[in-house]
Amino acid sequence: MISTLRYHSYQHPSPAPPFTPTESSILSAALRHVPSHGFSTTTLSLGARDVGYLDISTNLFPRGVFDLVNYHLVTERLRLSQKVDFSKFEDGTKRLSTPAKIRVLCAERLRANSPLINRWQEALGLMSLAGNIPASVSELAKLSDEMWFLAGDDSHDMNWYTKRATLSGVYASTELFMTQDTSPDFEETWKFLDRRLDDVKSLGSSVSNISSYLDFTAHAFSNVLRSKSVPFF
Amino acid sequence: MAFRLARNRALIAPAKSALGAIPRTALFYSTSSKPASSGQPQASEAETHFGFQTVKESLKAGKVAEVFSSVASSYDVMNDAMSFGIHRLWKDHFVRSLNPGRKSGGSPMAILDVAGGTGDIAFRMLDHADKINGDRETTVICADINADMLKEGEKRAQQQGYISTNRISFRVENAETLDSIPDNSVDLYTISFGIRNVTRIPMALKAAHRVLKPGGVFACLEFSKVSPAPLDAIYQQYSFSIIPLMGQLIAGDRDSYQYLVESIKKFPTQQEFAVMIKEAGFMNVGKGYEELTFGVASIWKGVKPLDSK
Repeated sequence: MISTLRYHSYQHPSPAPPFTPTESSILSAALRHVPSHGFSTTTLSLGARDVGYLDISTNLFPRGVFDLVNYHLVTERLRLSQKVDFSKFEDGTKRLSTPAKIRVLCAERLRANSPLINRWQEALGLMSLAGNIPASVSELAKLSDEMWFLAGDDSHDMNWYTKRATLSGVYASTELFMTQDTSPDFEETWKFLDRRLDDVKSLGSSVSNISSYLDFTAHAFSNVLRSKSVPFF
Repeated sequence: MAFRLARNRALIAPAKSALGAIPRTALFYSTSSKPASSGQPQASEAETHFGFQTVKESLKAGKVAEVFSSVASSYDVMNDAMSFGIHRLWKDHFVRSLNPGRKSGGSPMAILDVAGGTGDIAFRMLDHADKINGDRETTVICADINADMLKEGEKRAQQQGYISTNRISFRVENAETLDSIPDNSVDLYTISFGIRNVTRIPMALKAAHRVLKPGGVFACLEFSKVSPAPLDAIYQQYSFSIIPLMGQLIAGDRDSYQYLVESIKKFPTQQEFAVMIKEAGFMNVGKGYEELTFGVASIWKGVKPLDSK
């Protein structure tokens, strides 16, 4: 049960490591071959050979190459908490706002794709295959949860869901943009990311504007009814 | 025959409530002359099950041999009839998921197909290696305890032109010992619808572990437990009432197919067998098994770790 937990919790122990030592050794070796051989069975075989296993040993991965993609997704998500240290950005006087932290986390996670970026479209292709969609979406949700958790968000209302959903959308679209980006050091990608985060901010404020407008109108309407002595609760 | 069924039913019905623990279907259709489990276990020799019967371990291999000698010629027709041809899909999926054959920059594979007398899996392996991986060097050894089944396979290999390529060989071999196969010599060990008939399954798993190279793969295709429960009820009805009847009509042999369905029922569950594979020293693949057609059959895979001797 614990291993299927889709969010961070202080009430549960952290789940067991997601990969056995053998799986990790083969998959991490295989990742080094991705730039030259792409996300392919050849890459998996090469990874297995590198650590002394046989071609047939790749049967250890029932989902084939998708397991390699998944390995990258999971390990980079778990690595995020070690890579990002907000104390670097903050001192006694200056504190980062939550949206600023989210931007740092997003950029850091996207940067982890940069060694594979020429082949990342193949990975996105694999992730979008019907059989792999549930696993891919669940991994995206976990990533988004991880980012909000690391940014120190502790909301426990409906916002919890909308925050995660919108961040997932922002991250996924920026990731896709990045595969096409040829600018030096992915400058265009970071601009794209900023625009998406601004969109979310303005979307968030317009949602709250609309809801306060509706709230005011409803109250005014009920007061009108009361003033006319119409039975109204 | 109808008369015989009716008579059995009449004879057994009064005793039904007293023997409530034994599956009803087994009571109705068991054609063995002995009761389902013969009273006092003998202390002198270990016993095992042969279908629902309890027999001495030394006798099971002979009884299984009788079954397969008697069905060898009609084996494929019966498989098609009983499974509506689905066993071919299972076997195709099994072989495709294993992806045998030489990869670029790699070496040809040595495959051992145990209990593969009729060559069903072996031919598919060779075809896959050839057509998908362009490899005509990978070899398969078909091992079977039953010479009659092997003869059937050899005949087919001759007809379909596999013999001339020297990529397939047939030999009589006990899965529990695999005497003539050297240690650490096999890339891929497969056993398809066979392990259930082995007297001491843990010994067969040990033998598989011994002959496989470190990093080699153990793969087993076998009948398993059906879920959810309503489907299982239908499946049990089908296997205990229809399959022995089919066996009688098509293969002229009811008892062998009665044994078949009883032995399926006696086989461990998916999870139990995955644990047995792990205990034999393999690393389970994923959760240990993959169910096919609601668990009518399953595929178990294990990889021999590098650090095992």
